[in-house]
Amino acid sequence: MVHDARLSTRVLRAAGILAVLTWSLAPILLVVTSAFKEPRQIFEVPFRVFFIPTAENFETLARLNPEFFSGLRNSLIVTVFTVLLTLCASFGAGYVYARTKETAYKVSAVFMLVVRMLPPIVVTVPLFPVVNWLALNDSHLILILLYAAFYVSLGAWMMRSFVAQIPIELEEAAAIDGATLWQVLRLVVLPLAAQGLVALTLFVVVFAWNEYVFAMIFTMNNARTAPVVIGEMLSTAEGVQWGAVFAAATIQLVPVVLIVLALQRFLIAGLTAGAVKS
Amino acid sequence: MIAEIARRIDIGPLRRDASLLDRQRRPQTRHGFYVLLLLPALLLLVALLATPAVYIVWLSFQKSTLGQEPAFVGLANYGALIADSAFWRAVWNTFAVVNVIVYGELAFGLAVAVLLRRVEIGRKLIIAAIIAPYAITESSGIVMWRFMMEPDVGIASRLLDGLGLVLPWDSEPWAGLALACLIAIWHHMPFTFLILYAALLSVPKETQEAAAIDGATAWQRFWRVEVPIIMPAILVAILFRYIFAIRLFGEVWLLTRGGPARLTEVLAIYLYRETFQYRNFGLASAAGVCMLLLSLLIALPYLYRMAKEVRRGA
Repeated sequence: MVHDARLSTRVLRAAGILAVLTWSLAPILLVVTSAFKEPRQIFEVPFRVFFIPTAENFETLARLNPEFFSGLRNSLIVTVFTVLLTLCASFGAGYVYARTKETAYKVSAVFMLVVRMLPPIVVTVPLFPVVNWLALNDSHLILILLYAAFYVSLGAWMMRSFVAQIPIELEEAAAIDGATLWQVLRLVVLPLAAQGLVALTLFVVVFAWNEYVFAMIFTMNNARTAPVVIGEMLSTAEGVQWGAVFAAATIQLVPVVLIVLALQRFLIAGLTAGAVKS
Repeated sequence: MIAEIARRIDIGPLRRDASLLDRQRRPQTRHGFYVLLLLPALLLLVALLATPAVYIVWLSFQKSTLGQEPAFVGLANYGALIADSAFWRAVWNTFAVVNVIVYGELAFGLAVAVLLRRVEIGRKLIIAAIIAPYAITESSGIVMWRFMMEPDVGIASRLLDGLGLVLPWDSEPWAGLALACLIAIWHHMPFTFLILYAALLSVPKETQEAAAIDGATAWQRFWRVEVPIIMPAILVAILFRYIFAIRLFGEVWLLTRGGPARLTEVLAIYLYRETFQYRNFGLASAAGVCMLLLSLLIALPYLYRMAKEVRRGA
């Protein structure tokens, strides 16, 4: 009797898991597999599960939307430099917040949190004319700065909780051995906070690689990122070229999905450090 | 210098002296160093976020557009905002959409967290699959869902048709917003799930066992024992999702562009249109100030708690 109940809950649980997996993965798998179908097979009824993969859609993409590939390059540049800038700024700030008790530092830590709560679209209204005036419009730099500005608060707070776990005695020991403050930071704290840095990198990569609103507003041609190009491919007057769109979406999502899957345990570490710590 | 000597000759007592001396010397040297370390982060925040946020408040009292000298008009922009039916439509849409998203995600994420808690086999893989949507850009997500929901030909819309359910998202405003909610939930549920899952795992087994011995059913144990324990995590998830859901833009923009006839606009889209299409900076600024205040109001409990924690020096 008990065994039966257990079996039925087990079956139910398996069904539930299957449903969740379908919900999460089906849209992704459908698009990725369809990217390798011939265009006329894409909307075929009945749905075609088995097919001979073809690169036709990718060729169409290269022919019709060459700007997608420069978009990928722009996304890569912006992501790499956003990560570097965010890591440096966050590490410095997080270290200070973990090691100080004076009021001024605490105020600035709370200030960071307040600023993070601002909706991004709101700052675009006053920023746009200024960015235009500085001729930073359509540059990689403006996206890098904006992305870093929005992630440095999360970063500083994440680094704060990671640095706080490092015993201060280690730093003191190094200082006694004659290390300068700078050396202590670089040679003692940095390696020990590496896990936090990886977690933060993951968050920033996902954000910067995928960001859409700022990129759409602040770029035209030179710095237009891949998500914006995909968005444009969805709104052409001649109707959507589904094959090419699938190829683009597939290329765009593969690297970041792989990174998230490989580093998912850091994602959880970062979330628990950044959001639910109390 | 003394530290260097102490290191060379390695004498215990002298070492302690050196550290004492170092500690005395620390305050002056350290503050300069700390400020230097804080500077990049603070510069970024002040220049790119805080100053514009303050400036937009000033701008909301001006008559202004791109390339024109602003002139003070008092509360006229707010008056125009209140008289604009498109604004109220956007407010209402945002309210409805944000609540559906936040609580839909909460219920769904909690269910998945509970479901997954007892799973042993392949747990890591399953979690990886669940968080996959989190890694996808809005525009790719829209590509996927539009493909599935394409009227008459999409695999999901055919499925729904078969069940007698029709979601005419390309013509009916409610349906467009409903699909946007669905996509947003698909996209962000991993965030809610991970927070709740981590909280559920940290509930001590003993409390469960004690409740079980007292004769509580599994259902009672969950609602009376576990949910109260993970309540702080639930509140954090709700709060964060509120703050981020108010920003909702891509999902709606790429599905409907706020149309037909501005009926599916949410606040972010209203702001975007007024700024970049109609060049109506004054009106947009007034709307921006409303969004700003709303976000900060929602964030207040969280900010208050964090400020308290910081003051305690936790």
